[in-house]
Amino acid sequence: MRKLLQLVFGDARNVASVAVALLAAYGISRIAPAASGAVLVLVLIAAAAVQAF
Amino acid sequence: MSAAQWGGASALFLASAVEWVEAFTIVLAVALTIGWRRASSAAAAALAVIALLIAVTGVGLEAAQADVERIRAAIGILLLLFGLRWYVKAIRRFAGRTALHDETREFAATRGQLEQAESRAAWIVAFKGVLLEGLEVWLLVVALGRTLSYVAAAGSAVAALVAVISVGLALKAPLTRVPENTLKYMVACAILAFGSYWGLGGIVGERAAWPPGDITLVLLFAVYAVAGRIIARAARMQGSGKPAQARA
Repeated sequence: MRKLLQLVFGDARNVASVAVALLAAYGISRIAPAASGAVLVLVLIAAAAVQAF
Repeated sequence: MSAAQWGGASALFLASAVEWVEAFTIVLAVALTIGWRRASSAAAAALAVIALLIAVTGVGLEAAQADVERIRAAIGILLLLFGLRWYVKAIRRFAGRTALHDETREFAATRGQLEQAESRAAWIVAFKGVLLEGLEVWLLVVALGRTLSYVAAAGSAVAALVAVISVGLALKAPLTRVPENTLKYMVACAILAFGSYWGLGGIVGERAAWPPGDITLVLLFAVYAVAGRIIARAARMQGSGKPAQARA
């Protein structure tokens, strides 16, 4: 079960990264919807960079 | 099928192929120890479990007449979780921060484990290996099945399985020639692109989040692919001299 959950969600950093990216994009979408996609992508790439280093 | 559906089917095919290559390597090593018949029976048993999971979850998804946008958002988030994990792993491997996945070493290690093991233990090794890799394929099929069509998603996974078995049997050697990390990296970029598009589109609306429409998928793929290589290069330059570490 633990292995399955890890397969689905990854580790805590992975879950936190996706959650922060989606929350940031959602927040921006309330003000400028067209910019929300760019925010999502940038936060995800930044999260990947933090995890990669 | 639309261009987006073809893209989804292709991504699923490649992602499944990566998992099947890993599973096939384990089965190959076990087969040389306990014979093809026993190793194949273990692989077949594990594949039967995966097929059952795919069938049951497919019926469940069809029965649930839920809101398409919510399902799309859930699928997108699942793909983001899955894709980001693969993306980071592939970048770390390009950067030399994590050792490259070596099919030859895995092949030798599996054989080593089996030297003193009984055939039953060997059977379990093959079963477990195929089951774990197959579970990842199942997750991909469930994730893409609703939007792509469940039959097309399952068909892509089965086609990848047939392709890997055909190529593997033709080579009759560990599949070291398959550039696994490059393949995984491209697949991760594709999964992230679909996850971003569907995840955010399901939450705030596709047209609002991605004004250009379906073409955004290609742009997202390109952005993730370029950004990942830049990160890998920077990480390699900063970490040169540090030994590669294992990372799950």
